[in-house]
Amino acid sequence: MKLLSKLTLYITLSKTVIVILFIVLLPGLVKDVAFRYTNYSLEEQKKKVIDVINKNGIDYYFQGDSSYGSYTMLKEEYISLDRSGSNAPADTIETSRRIVENDTLTYRVLSHVFIYGNKKYVLEIGKTIAAISQYNRPLQKVALYVLTGLIVFTLLVDLIFTRLLLRPLGVIIGTKLLNRKFPFKEELPAVNTSTTDFRFLDDSLIGLMSKIREAFEKEREFTSNASHELMTPIGILQNKMENLLDNDLPEALQEKVMTMMHTLGRLKKIVRSLLLISQIENDQFAKSPAVNIGLLVEEVVKDLEDRFEARGIRVKVDIEKDAAIHNVNRDLLFQLVYNLVNNAVRYNKENGEVLIGGQYKPDASYILQIKDSGIGIPGKDIAGIFDRFKKSTRTGEESYGLGLSIVKSIALYHNWEIKVVSEPGIGTIFSIVF
Amino acid sequence: MNVLIVEDERSMALEMEAFLKKAFYLCDLAYSARQAKELLENHPYNFILLDLGLPDGDGLEVLKQAKKICPDASYIILTARGDLDDRIKGLDLGADDYLAKPFSLLELQSRMQAIARRKSGLNDAVVSLEGFSVDLSRRLVFFDKEEIELSRKEFDLLSYMLLHKNRPLTRLQLSEHIWGAFSEDDYDSNYIDVHIKNIRKKMTPHAPVEWLQTIRGIGYKIKI
Repeated sequence: MKLLSKLTLYITLSKTVIVILFIVLLPGLVKDVAFRYTNYSLEEQKKKVIDVINKNGIDYYFQGDSSYGSYTMLKEEYISLDRSGSNAPADTIETSRRIVENDTLTYRVLSHVFIYGNKKYVLEIGKTIAAISQYNRPLQKVALYVLTGLIVFTLLVDLIFTRLLLRPLGVIIGTKLLNRKFPFKEELPAVNTSTTDFRFLDDSLIGLMSKIREAFEKEREFTSNASHELMTPIGILQNKMENLLDNDLPEALQEKVMTMMHTLGRLKKIVRSLLLISQIENDQFAKSPAVNIGLLVEEVVKDLEDRFEARGIRVKVDIEKDAAIHNVNRDLLFQLVYNLVNNAVRYNKENGEVLIGGQYKPDASYILQIKDSGIGIPGKDIAGIFDRFKKSTRTGEESYGLGLSIVKSIALYHNWEIKVVSEPGIGTIFSIVF
Repeated sequence: MNVLIVEDERSMALEMEAFLKKAFYLCDLAYSARQAKELLENHPYNFILLDLGLPDGDGLEVLKQAKKICPDASYIILTARGDLDDRIKGLDLGADDYLAKPFSLLELQSRMQAIARRKSGLNDAVVSLEGFSVDLSRRLVFFDKEEIELSRKEFDLLSYMLLHKNRPLTRLQLSEHIWGAFSEDDYDSNYIDVHIKNIRKKMTPHAPVEWLQTIRGIGYKIKI
């Protein structure tokens, strides 16, 4: 999941949780606040009543009676004064029922015991619960609306801000990482951001890519230099030997020089093959839009026809006339087919058979198969046949083991798939999926 | 035939000179683009062998200039640069052929001869060989007007050995000539034996071919 989606989800969820919590807790909270405030106001009223009693004297209220009571018309509040017995309770505030003029109502009642003129009195101040909680619901509603509004507003602000905040990251990923091909040839400008983390990330990526580019350039340069530096002395040696070898030279020496030339030739071919592989891996071959595979195979077969003849090997080619491989370097494709067909002859039996077939697959890719009736490759060896310098033990002949590594490099370079199926004694099938 | 060798690697240039002299070419040496330009302006050449990796200038640029000064000469590009584009660019600029270093001097001479033959028309391209005649242009071999059918590769081999007659040639040299850079290893040179055997088989009925000598396990030569 993308970071932005995660954050969006998180922000939305957390705000929803807050709203839900608020809805659940609000009634209790409001009630609690109302009761607290009521308690407080009852206490205040109590103080005022005591003050008034002290000022006017208690008899002013009793007027000879044993108790005093006062209430509003709707009985929402009442005050009562009573003479108290000796076992009067301590001061309390509690919710309890009272009967006022035949109406039983639930009140919040403050009871206060006090002594006035050596006598104990009980003062009660009450307020109906209905009066206390009359504002609870509207208050709750308003609070809920305000909260919901605020939450929605902050949610929007959060989402917009997150989006803005994360935009540089998206730009970094989009321009620096997605659809970039090794070795990151084009140099991209730094992404504009004030977030230091993104700045750091972007700078690091730019730094890394330029390092890769440098390393790649160095390798390229090395390849080019190595080719010059190795090939030139080899060439000089070869030419010196060639000049040495003419008929004036005694035969015994001729033979020695020729052996030397032979060894030098080996060196030359190894260096050349390694250079070819590194050039392929360094992306130094231009691709052409389409190559007719039928004509190319025909050319390879013609080039090798003397080998087919020499060993009595029959070759069958079954490729549609117009079949074409796209986006390919022709020389490399030629080399690949050449190496595979050459191997098909090389590891074949006398009077054997080589079948070269091509066909389009349903998914529009093209598959080229080169099948021989040769000695085959044991299962355990198949994995290693494309390794460099893996010498074939299949025949007694000397081999540098680079032919198939070149095939592999060429296939990798073009993103082709190679499959090998082989059965010792029956033959081998190489398939290239283009 | 006058040849200008433009090559900064002196010992290589000297080897080329020594070899071509034996083949009766007259050679001048230039070790830099500047020297090459000076020589080109003062002497006419039939062949210019041009190394692309010169210390004082891009070889392709030198080729462009040389083509202006000496348009009738034949140009062969020599390069050790890995870049395959060089070949295409060089040929586009009008070079006649291209040899990747390290190359065989024998191959060089063979290419020069092929170019000369191509440019001079079909005359004098028939070489006689102990009663046989080899038509290098039409790629045919005759004995007393009777054609001997050789395969493409067999003819290539025979004409190459004929060009370098009296000189021992290794199987590797021969296979390189025939299969070029694609020739991979000893396996390829084994086919040289097959071809030589076929050449002998096809020519012997007409006349003895003792001139086609085997050098024990290493190579062959035509001795006349």
